[in-house]
Amino acid sequence: MSVTPSWIGLVAHLHITARAFLPMRAMEAIELVAGEGILGDRYRIGTEEGFYSPKPEPGRQVTLFEEEALEAIRRDHGIELRPEEHRRNVTTRGVPLTHLVGRRFRLGDCLLEATRLSIPCRHIEEILEKPVFDPMINRSGLNCRILEGGTVRLGDPIRPV
Amino acid sequence: MRHIRLALRAAEPAGPGIRLLTLMDPDGWPLPRWRPGAHIDLHLPGGLTRAYSLCGDPAEAECWRIAVKREPAGRGGSAWLHDALAVGEELPASLPRCTFPLAEGASRHIFLAGGIGVTPFLAMAAALARSGAEHHLHLLHRGPPPLPTQLAALQGRVTLHDTLTGRPGLAALLGPPTPGTEAYCCGPPGLIEAFLAAWPADQARVEHFTPPPLAPLPGARPFTLVLAKSGRSLDLPAGAPLLPALHSLGAEVESSCEGGICGACRVRWLEGPPLHRDRILRPEERETHLMACVAGCAGSRLVLDL
Ligand code: FES
Repeated sequence: MSVTPSWIGLVAHLHITARAFLPMRAMEAIELVAGEGILGDRYRIGTEEGFYSPKPEPGRQVTLFEEEALEAIRRDHGIELRPEEHRRNVTTRGVPLTHLVGRRFRLGDCLLEATRLSIPCRHIEEILEKPVFDPMINRSGLNCRILEGGTVRLGDPIRPV
Repeated sequence: MRHIRLALRAAEPAGPGIRLLTLMDPDGWPLPRWRPGAHIDLHLPGGLTRAYSLCGDPAEAECWRIAVKREPAGRGGSAWLHDALAVGEELPASLPRCTFPLAEGASRHIFLAGGIGVTPFLAMAAALARSGAEHHLHLLHRGPPPLPTQLAALQGRVTLHDTLTGRPGLAALLGPPTPGTEAYCCGPPGLIEAFLAAWPADQARVEHFTPPPLAPLPGARPFTLVLAKSGRSLDLPAGAPLLPALHSLGAEVESSCEGGICGACRVRWLEGPPLHRDRILRPEERETHLMACVAGCAGSRLVLDL
């Protein structure tokens, strides 16, 4: 019996940064390592350069953000937030991120488990010089653990398992 | 603490007693964006913090430039940056903060600099040269000017006034404050005062590079300092400085100028009211924030969002 999933999304943008506060770099593809993180990114376990989470955080190996949230912030608050500015790795299209906490899903060929919703950091207002902290409460993305790694490319499908 | 790491990539002499430093991410990753007029704090050995205006072109994403003047009478920060910091070495720095921004609506910009106070204007001139807005820099200096190569690159949009041959009259030098003209001054306190006397305040912007002396706190009374997040508190006498009290309560608040001009120690307050003595917060910002290095409390409790 085959089950038709209720949603299928896709990868709209990919970003990494080597260190906290430094600008995010747009990528065509990123390499996920199971149990660790993204090659070259600040939150990879064992190489953390992140500021917000000085201790290794096993549930934050890769972060996702809804492109729809960028549109909502523009619509409701008149703030133009670009995909490289929300500081999450994967910008998704058509994925109900808030419903995924505690669940597993496929990002391209990789298998992820959503651990918790991300929380915004006040420092983002300093970095961007935009008052985005309040607008980002409750729509700041999703933290995930990597169960099966691999390459993720722009346009890859995202689907439930 | 909100630090990034910078590596010294190049250093060169740039005028009398001045070392021009080129700083980059250790791996050459692009650095945070900044606006002309911004400065960074460098965290030096021994707990010293020193603020420097970025004086390169804001369009250069991969490196920041600062010009360090040796201050023989200082606490040793500039001497360390001159003599000890070698190319390839790293040091922690703050994110750029812009307390001296260009006036967005102005069509003409006049810059008045005293000596090494020229640094923010080099970044502003680079940005304005691209946008095409009219601008001119007047630099007052004694003897050989600072940053001669960078001044030459301004291609005639600069006038040097060597004060060894006499002080120019500021009113004549600045001209009439026509609508749409914004004038800026960065330099020693005497020059800033003279500038503010010669030019209307609503078309003027100033940047102090040494904090002006603090006025005493009228209306101060003993108060309890409360940290809302940690729940810790401390009773303080009237007029007690906040920064040491915050540190003794274990709160991580940065500081640099400790004179209310740099923006490093900005904290959100919840209950007060505070007494504000900084030179940078706008009236509406004071409704929610204070600068901890100079602020006091007019009430019996000061509750901070820490
Ligand atoms: S330390 Fe500079 S404003 Fe407080």
